[in-house]
Amino acid sequence: MSDSRTGYEGYVTAAADPFDRPRAIGGRAPDVFRPGAWVPMRQYADTDEVDFAIVGTGAGGGTLACRLAEQGFSVVALDAGPFWRPLEDFASDETEQTKVFWMDDRLIDGDNPIKMGVNNSGKSVGGSTVHFQMVSLRFRPEWFSSRSQLGYAEDWPLDWREMWHYYDEVEDALAVAGPLHYPWGPKRKRYPYRPHELNAAALVLARGAEAMGTAWAACPLATVSAPRGLSPPCVHRGFCRIGCSTNAKQSVLTVWIPRALAAGAEIRDLAMVGRIETNDARRVTGVHYHREGQWRFQKARNVVVAGYAIETPRLLLLSESSRFPDGLANSSGLVGKYLMTQCNQSVWGLMDEEIRCYKGPPSLSINEHWNYVDRHPTKDFDGYYLFYSQGPLPLEWLAVQTGARGLWGEALRTEMEKYNHQAGLRMVGELLPYENNRVTLADETDQYGLRIPRITYTYSENDKRLIRHGMDQMEQHLRAAGATDIFRQEDDTNHLNGTARMGDNPTTSVVNADCRCWDIPNLWICDGSVFPTVGGVNPSETIQAIACRTADRIRRMAARGES
Amino acid sequence: MGSRSPHVMAATGPPSTPYGAGIGRRRGWWACAHHDEGGPVHRLRQIGHDEEGPVRRLPQIGYFASSPVRRAATPDRDRTMSAARRLNQAAGLLAASVLADSGVEHYRGCFENPAMYLPLASSALSLAASLHGTADARGGGHRLRDAIYALAGLTGVAGTGFHLYNIGKREGGWSWINLFYAAPVGAPMALSLSGLMGFLSERLRRTPSNRPPRLLGFPAGRTLAALTGAGLAGTTGEAGLLHFRGAFQNPAMVLPVTVPPIAAALLEATAAQDAPSPGLRRATGGLLRLTALLGFAGVGFHIYGVSRGMGGWRNWSQNVLNGPPIPAPPGFTGLALAGLAALWLLEGKQ
Repeated sequence: MSDSRTGYEGYVTAAADPFDRPRAIGGRAPDVFRPGAWVPMRQYADTDEVDFAIVGTGAGGGTLACRLAEQGFSVVALDAGPFWRPLEDFASDETEQTKVFWMDDRLIDGDNPIKMGVNNSGKSVGGSTVHFQMVSLRFRPEWFSSRSQLGYAEDWPLDWREMWHYYDEVEDALAVAGPLHYPWGPKRKRYPYRPHELNAAALVLARGAEAMGTAWAACPLATVSAPRGLSPPCVHRGFCRIGCSTNAKQSVLTVWIPRALAAGAEIRDLAMVGRIETNDARRVTGVHYHREGQWRFQKARNVVVAGYAIETPRLLLLSESSRFPDGLANSSGLVGKYLMTQCNQSVWGLMDEEIRCYKGPPSLSINEHWNYVDRHPTKDFDGYYLFYSQGPLPLEWLAVQTGARGLWGEALRTEMEKYNHQAGLRMVGELLPYENNRVTLADETDQYGLRIPRITYTYSENDKRLIRHGMDQMEQHLRAAGATDIFRQEDDTNHLNGTARMGDNPTTSVVNADCRCWDIPNLWICDGSVFPTVGGVNPSETIQAIACRTADRIRRMAARGES
Repeated sequence: MGSRSPHVMAATGPPSTPYGAGIGRRRGWWACAHHDEGGPVHRLRQIGHDEEGPVRRLPQIGYFASSPVRRAATPDRDRTMSAARRLNQAAGLLAASVLADSGVEHYRGCFENPAMYLPLASSALSLAASLHGTADARGGGHRLRDAIYALAGLTGVAGTGFHLYNIGKREGGWSWINLFYAAPVGAPMALSLSGLMGFLSERLRRTPSNRPPRLLGFPAGRTLAALTGAGLAGTTGEAGLLHFRGAFQNPAMVLPVTVPPIAAALLEATAAQDAPSPGLRRATGGLLRLTALLGFAGVGFHIYGVSRGMGGWRNWSQNVLNGPPIPAPPGFTGLALAGLAALWLLEGKQ
């Protein structure tokens, strides 16, 4: 055991397997910044009726746990995944690091079934922010009123100006490293840290944008470009998408969770919540969770569901009872519906010069041009998208060659030799909400005996047009940057949202603007599932901003004596 | 305070210092310099001889320890030579800083362009010339030193050209991100400043013994104050840019962008007045000394900064290259020494 500040050698083998048994027990929790070290943690008995039991510790739940604990509420936050110490638990190995993904069984169907279990899910304290790409972007203001201002999809019940304030808070909390002047959207506060140095892949995007006459910028990233507390500056290892082993990444695990613990929250790792209990007053009373081989029950005055767009509706549906035969919070019938993902297609090309795109955070430069164009002769779709530079690791790149291109044998070997000269652009595009894209319960059960989710997804014609437009644009930009041998990776999606949308009307939404369920006043949902639309940016910053806002709203409601 | 002139001080005698013998001799020469301007030749030679002796070197070592106001009793020739040698020290410190800094940074850049070796060679020569000059108490110039300093000045200018080209050619051109991460825009000027200080030293050394020192056609103190102030401003700009890149994440990062410019402003104010108040001169001297100390303290801060990289000093081979530049801050010390030399000359003017 060591209290070394940034030591890392030798700890991988010395550390106990965080999957074996919970680490956050006995009045202490792992110190994420020191190998083998601990921080004190307040603990509650199952019989203690805590103010908030939070299910999930990702961008929504982890952030909310911190903010509520700092406001003085008693908080127990449960996560099905382990509690990592990145310095000792994370390896520079793609196969090993699949341990940070949610790989439990799920059924997928629809015309365009969503590939699950890698970039779109996380099973860790800190949720998928443990392996997120750190891209920290704000919604375009008009997206909060898509229906009324842009003429498609749904309005949010939130005002963008209020969200702007919470974006500021999140960017400060994460010490986001971003450009001094962001070319798109309303004026924003200066990012707390300066942008990172651009790698060659990012410069390819820049070159293409300058040739095409579109703007580009260093991408705002939640990884520090200078020391911050116990986080060293990012050393551009490039393993961000499978877990940062240096703690330069400002994830929920390294930012909000330590703050939550310091404020008195209890974090329960390896604690899978299987059911939310209700009483005759049609209020929730706590959660049933599985930990250390047995089912337990934690009493709580309020329950927050923050399991992301698949596990959140799954838990609400699993919690059906005679009082709530369609599942909790489902009087509208919308729980699990309007599932949205974001398209994540790429275009790749070969550069004469060595690029080594895997060095550095994958998305160091960004082009949001098409997020801010409403009308254009070529724009034949509703929705928006961005694209940024990319840096796949070797196995990921191999999967592109064998999957998207179907290469094998000698052709595959020849293509892999070009790896160091490859550059690519990847889009994040807004796919629209449709009722038929949904999460339901399958009959099969998982290792906990819980029915697994069935995820049904089909692109609309509008979605396909947006994707086509995005790939055309990326190809043109890449060609303008000097790339040759260009090919498209046409089938990829990432972030998941919807399935418990927020709104102003109980018949057309699951929660209100405060993330409070219309049906059950002491049940809250705080994660990406409350999004009515997804916009054309990565959602993690918006989820955290919503969590911060929800915490403030709860504080005000508590101050007024509301229960 | 403001009305107290050096003459009054001379009449009443300076406060005692740890360097009793040296100060006492200066008191005698103060009177000589003012009552018999220029002074007898044989007595001036006596000074030159004394300067080479161990007693004369003591005040050099203790330069930070005593107020310039207390030194008001030095004769012009003595003062000029002292300033010249301090300028050698300044040039040497700047050269040492450039030698180590460009060595590390250009190694990091894999010496991709053969011209990247030039600042190492030039700064090494400048350092050698400065050491030689510091030890050389003789009057008159030194051609080789002069040539080396001229080379340093030109190399710095050429380096600035290279660095400007490096910034401008990148995607984004003259943007913040390129100013942050391309070749550092202000760094080569440190070499030019080394050359400049050495060049000025040589000019001072050539000052005829019966004339007040002049540099570039102007009174030496004012010229040196102006150039040092500009150098401090530029170096502050460079530190400011790079500390801004580091988001001023440590509060101490504010020091090099506040103390040196105040010192420079005070120096300019002192130089601009025919009779600056003792308070102003004391403050100028104090801030310049603080700047000089800050240059050395900066090395300590940067060593600590390197320890905050992933793996700390155990991972020194990466963190020294990517962390804050350890050899850079003493550039401030070099310029502060030049500023103190300017102050020294300005007081001689009184």
